[in-house]
Amino acid sequence: MSTFMKKLVYGLIGLLAGLAAWPFSETILVFQPYFSSYFMFIIVLGLVFGGLMGGFLGSSEGITLSVKSRIVPGIIVGMILGAVGGAVGFWIGQGALWIVSELVLHSNKLLQAYGIPISRAIGWGFLGVFIGSVEGFRTRSFAKIKVGIAGGIIGGILGGIALEYFRLRFPDAFFGRLIGSLILGLLIGLFYGFFEKKFSKGVLRLLNGTLKGKEFLLLQNKIRIGSSKKVEIHLPGYENVADIHAVLKSKKTDLVVNNVNTEHRVLVNELNVSEHQLKLDDVIQVGSAKFWFFYK
Amino acid sequence: MFIRKLLGSLILFVIGSFSLSAESIRVSQIDTNKLLLNQQVKLYISLTNNQGRPIQKQQKRSFKIFESGNGRTFQIIPEIKSFQVGANYEDGISFLLLIDNSESMYWTMEGRKTKKDAQRRITHAKSAVTSFLGSITNPKDKVGLAVYNSSYLLLSSPTQDKKKIEKQLADIQRPQGDGIYSEIYGSVQLAIDEFSTIKGRKAIIILSDGVNNPSYTYTKKINEQFGERFVSYQKPTNALQLEGISLYVVNFGKKGQIKDRHLSRISERSGGVTFNAHSRKQLQAVYLTIIDQILKEYIITYRASMLPAEKKTVKVAYTNKRGKDFSTTRSYLASTVFGQPGLGFNPFYFIAFIVSVLLLWLLTRIKFEKQRAQPSIEILNAGAGNVSTQILDLGNAQTIIGSASNADMTIAGVAGIEENHVTVAFDEKSNQYTLIGTDKVLVNNQAVTTKVLEPGDLINLDGVTMIFDEGTEQDKDES
Repeated sequence: MSTFMKKLVYGLIGLLAGLAAWPFSETILVFQPYFSSYFMFIIVLGLVFGGLMGGFLGSSEGITLSVKSRIVPGIIVGMILGAVGGAVGFWIGQGALWIVSELVLHSNKLLQAYGIPISRAIGWGFLGVFIGSVEGFRTRSFAKIKVGIAGGIIGGILGGIALEYFRLRFPDAFFGRLIGSLILGLLIGLFYGFFEKKFSKGVLRLLNGTLKGKEFLLLQNKIRIGSSKKVEIHLPGYENVADIHAVLKSKKTDLVVNNVNTEHRVLVNELNVSEHQLKLDDVIQVGSAKFWFFYK
Repeated sequence: MFIRKLLGSLILFVIGSFSLSAESIRVSQIDTNKLLLNQQVKLYISLTNNQGRPIQKQQKRSFKIFESGNGRTFQIIPEIKSFQVGANYEDGISFLLLIDNSESMYWTMEGRKTKKDAQRRITHAKSAVTSFLGSITNPKDKVGLAVYNSSYLLLSSPTQDKKKIEKQLADIQRPQGDGIYSEIYGSVQLAIDEFSTIKGRKAIIILSDGVNNPSYTYTKKINEQFGERFVSYQKPTNALQLEGISLYVVNFGKKGQIKDRHLSRISERSGGVTFNAHSRKQLQAVYLTIIDQILKEYIITYRASMLPAEKKTVKVAYTNKRGKDFSTTRSYLASTVFGQPGLGFNPFYFIAFIVSVLLLWLLTRIKFEKQRAQPSIEILNAGAGNVSTQILDLGNAQTIIGSASNADMTIAGVAGIEENHVTVAFDEKSNQYTLIGTDKVLVNNQAVTTKVLEPGDLINLDGVTMIFDEGTEQDKDES
């Protein structure tokens, strides 16, 4: 899967996340009178909406890397972090609303026209941050958390503005919120993909075998390559690949490949290496798998 | 002390000209700024007796609060969280005095033109406003000043500097030319816009000696502030309700003079009162009555219901000592993150959830990477070149890649690529493809002239990157 395709898949999963979360938010709205306060109501909305969005988006890494064993854990972690993000995001949105209304806008008209939409968009932005960082927290990768924060906040804010726009434009129409939710999910997914590419130090593209054409964005400081399902670049169906065969480490802006398995060789441009600093168009061979290293 | 005496002696004049029904309750302002954070709504309640004087020393138990999401069916609010009397003393009040400065304000009370300044309505108005300023003793109170005729002019935003207001009052100039008309509704709207950003209890007091006479109606000249449009009275009415500002109206002029019929309606809906004043003394008394009423308002804070509605109606019921009930209603806007609920619980909405889960599951089943059956050369990066095909299936014969138009794969636009740059030859015996270059080419980042190709070999022809794939059929043959 190319990085472009990966971005599209992220966007599609975001779209599905918005579609999945929409009926729940509609249902919670119906039960509004049973809540003790607007504050609690908004927190619960955030928990459910964020949890569902996070769950869906949490599956994206497993799907794009074709590692099915990562999909369910991704969904679970995504749901937990998304729920926290939804509640915290809306809580912060309320905080922003309080600041805006108490300190800046004492006008109800301005509050309705700008204060509430802006503060809600900020809330959606925070929701996006938590949802976007799901994979980063799951893999304990600061680089991925950074991508999630950047992609989530921009996608969240822009998506939140879209959602607010459709809500205000079609206040009585159920599809207004549906379209808004879809755009929110889509933008969080797309911006995550955009920043993932933007922050990557390079790309490894598989040149042969069953996963031929799959591209791995090199984000983290340490990336393991092997046949184990636990490694970052998992190579199922390739011959002569050890569980943890090679490790890519970043040294400032450079990437260095290390052979960490003495029984198997790592070839770079057909030469056996134990350590090699990668440069453009290098071909790395791990077992029978060949990678092309390039920059996006 | 002087103020109180003056108020006492003049209040009788005011009673006769107090437009609303005698004993009454009004919600003069609603503060919903804390609604989204702590569920609280603050009501400013004005309670006046049959003489128009504030009714004081009432207890919390005399009041009941109700809320409605549709304006028809009300539910009682079980508890009043806080009940304050005279809280406006502590917090201060912001007034905006909106003075009519149309041509007729320079006539006598009887409506005759005059050159004597002392007989002019505007002079009486200035005097009454000066005494109003003198009656404001609370340093937290603020007063702003604006005038209107064919246009609206803010002279001062609400300030504690009363000297400044007095000076600006004295400097009000008679309108000239097309400036003599009375743009009442549009001016109230602009005053609301100016005043809306101020916090706390706020009241606009408009002094008018006539009816709404927009300049465009008479002159057909485009008004700089209002253009050609007629500002209807509904606009400031809605704005006042939205902002929670009360409008107090003072109709100033001789008895029986035509008054603007909508102005009192705007005032009533905003929680304000309409007064009639026919002399300087009555005008002074009216201003003092207004400040007295506002200062003696009750402030009730309650926990709002969770009725879903964009606009909620609050009803305040008051029972006097004789057991007689009075009530009043007022609306406020209550918004939530997602807006209002739809038509009710609809299980069919969850089809969207099921569909999304199914599509996600399908997405997990898709194999995004597909291998070609035939051996092939695939372009990964054409660089500056223009290639005739992205994927070239390799047959059993020789395959030529170069810039020639009759090559199997033509790469145009790259100076370093010759007509027949490389040949990929198939050897049936060994079932292998061999790349043969006329000059050195890069395969797997190594310069070669001849190389037996292996699956995944990366070929670089002067910046054009391509990949050799032996195809899945080849795999089968080998196995």
